[in-house]
Amino acid sequence: MSFIEVKQISKTFRVAKKKSGLKEAFKSFIKREYLDVVAVDDISFSIEKGEIVGYIGPNGAGKSTTIKILSGILNPDSGECKIAGMTPWKERVKYVKKIGVVFGQKSQLWWDIPAEDTFDLLKDIYDIPEEEYQATKKDLIKRLNLEDIINIPVRQLSLGQRMRCEIAASLLHNPEILFLDEPTIGLDAVSKQLVRDFIKKLNKEKKTTIILTSHDMSDITTLAKRIILIGKGKVLYDGSLKKLRDKYDTETHVNIRTKDKLSIRKKGITSKNKTRDGYELVVNTKILSISELLMNLSKKILIDDIDIEQDTIDHIIVKLYEDYKI
Amino acid sequence: MKLYFKSLGMHLKAELEYRVNFILSFLSQILIFFTSYFVIIALFTKFDNIKGFTMYEVLLCFSIIQFGFAFNEVFARGIDRFDKLIIKGDFDRLLLRPKSIILQVLCSDSDFVKTARIIQAIIVLIIAIMNLSIHWNIMKVITLILMLISACVIFFGIFLVAASYCFYTVQGLEVRNVFTDGGKHMAQYPIGVFSKGFVVFFTFIIPYAFVNYYPLLYLLGKLDSPIYGLSPLLVIIYLIPCIIIFYMGMKRYSSVGS
Repeated sequence: MSFIEVKQISKTFRVAKKKSGLKEAFKSFIKREYLDVVAVDDISFSIEKGEIVGYIGPNGAGKSTTIKILSGILNPDSGECKIAGMTPWKERVKYVKKIGVVFGQKSQLWWDIPAEDTFDLLKDIYDIPEEEYQATKKDLIKRLNLEDIINIPVRQLSLGQRMRCEIAASLLHNPEILFLDEPTIGLDAVSKQLVRDFIKKLNKEKKTTIILTSHDMSDITTLAKRIILIGKGKVLYDGSLKKLRDKYDTETHVNIRTKDKLSIRKKGITSKNKTRDGYELVVNTKILSISELLMNLSKKILIDDIDIEQDTIDHIIVKLYEDYKI
Repeated sequence: MKLYFKSLGMHLKAELEYRVNFILSFLSQILIFFTSYFVIIALFTKFDNIKGFTMYEVLLCFSIIQFGFAFNEVFARGIDRFDKLIIKGDFDRLLLRPKSIILQVLCSDSDFVKTARIIQAIIVLIIAIMNLSIHWNIMKVITLILMLISACVIFFGIFLVAASYCFYTVQGLEVRNVFTDGGKHMAQYPIGVFSKGFVVFFTFIIPYAFVNYYPLLYLLGKLDSPIYGLSPLLVIIYLIPCIIIFYMGMKRYSSVGS
């Protein structure tokens, strides 16, 4: 039995069909037509304690719905889910003490008062013993570098500062599982780095299980070893990031600057384009290695400059989406 | 309970952040709501009674309802503004916390400016009592206190039901105002001045009559049995279905989403 067990969870929403036009508006006023939207379709996975899992997919794929189900806000139409031995939506009060949730787009801090006041309130909400609370708070302040900002009304904080407070607020009760829904959205590079480092450390030292959604692929690559890709409500890929790379990351872009004319026809070169000052080749490295290509090229032309570019994870994801037609 | 008072304190702190705004709103509340009392006074310069109720008797009734309503606006603001909680998606956050949902909704908002109305209601209540010749005894004091408490309870229940409406749709919120504001305006007068149908409705469907009609009659000596004096207690029973309705709505929310 894994720490988090999700079995065949499905969730369908009924949405009232709305068409444009006054006539249609009247029609739907009298008789409403509903459209069933499948948000999550037969999803299963299991996660061990202490894992960091990147949960990715395009907009509207069902990421948020899954997070909502796992955190107990929504109950699914069918399927089972056991987390730390509990069913989230059935044992709400007991369960939520074990989890922390950060929504990058929604704040849980009080807007007009300093973050520390919100922390104090959370202490009572979670019934955290005074001593434990003080220790955790001190630790979080140190790690997230909050000393100077904790006493300023939240509305005056920058986005990065607020997000750090936000994360601290979700961790005051030492949850075993942390859900991070786009934690770095809108942050600058420095804040992003700080947040990532913090999450990494947290996972390492406290063995906190972390489920992370993000559209920023560098979040995923730096933090998660394993990813779950969903699209149209279905799990499309579940496995290590490395395997995904090996499978898809076979194309390499080679940009050559040269004044010579190049005519090359070789197995493994998938496309050749003339650019402003040279050529761009796309090479399948499984068939044709880069060194072999270079040897070949240097025999034929004089290379002024060369630029070899591996596919980024973003490209891979786009390719994945295309493959699955989502 | 401790949690509730702590969050009240924080709301006060947050409101006081905008000092000028707080003072001005407070003053304007006083002005606006005295006008509604003047309406009654103006009415009674034309007629010396409405179906046997004198001006001070109506004012007594009026102030008790105002008190109950304003009390909820200050201390149960979160329930009054529940639609905001749903629309902004903050309700999800409450579901992620290990405390009773109704308590958390209560903690989520409050409006201290409206304390102005509570103060007003108390002032008018005192004026009304001083000008009425009520034969006071312990039972009648208890009745008066029960009336005030039940006024708070009944509006709490009504707010709760109105809030439950938001679980189904956040459109057409005016519908619920029929029962909150509309009900309030009706109940400001002794229910007996209305026709029979209204009396039945406001006795059995929304039991305003137990807040400010039957006990009022007892207080004024128009009815003798002390049972009428204790009738506000029935309002507490009314709260039970209100709470059940709220939790039913919540169940629906978690299966439908927003």
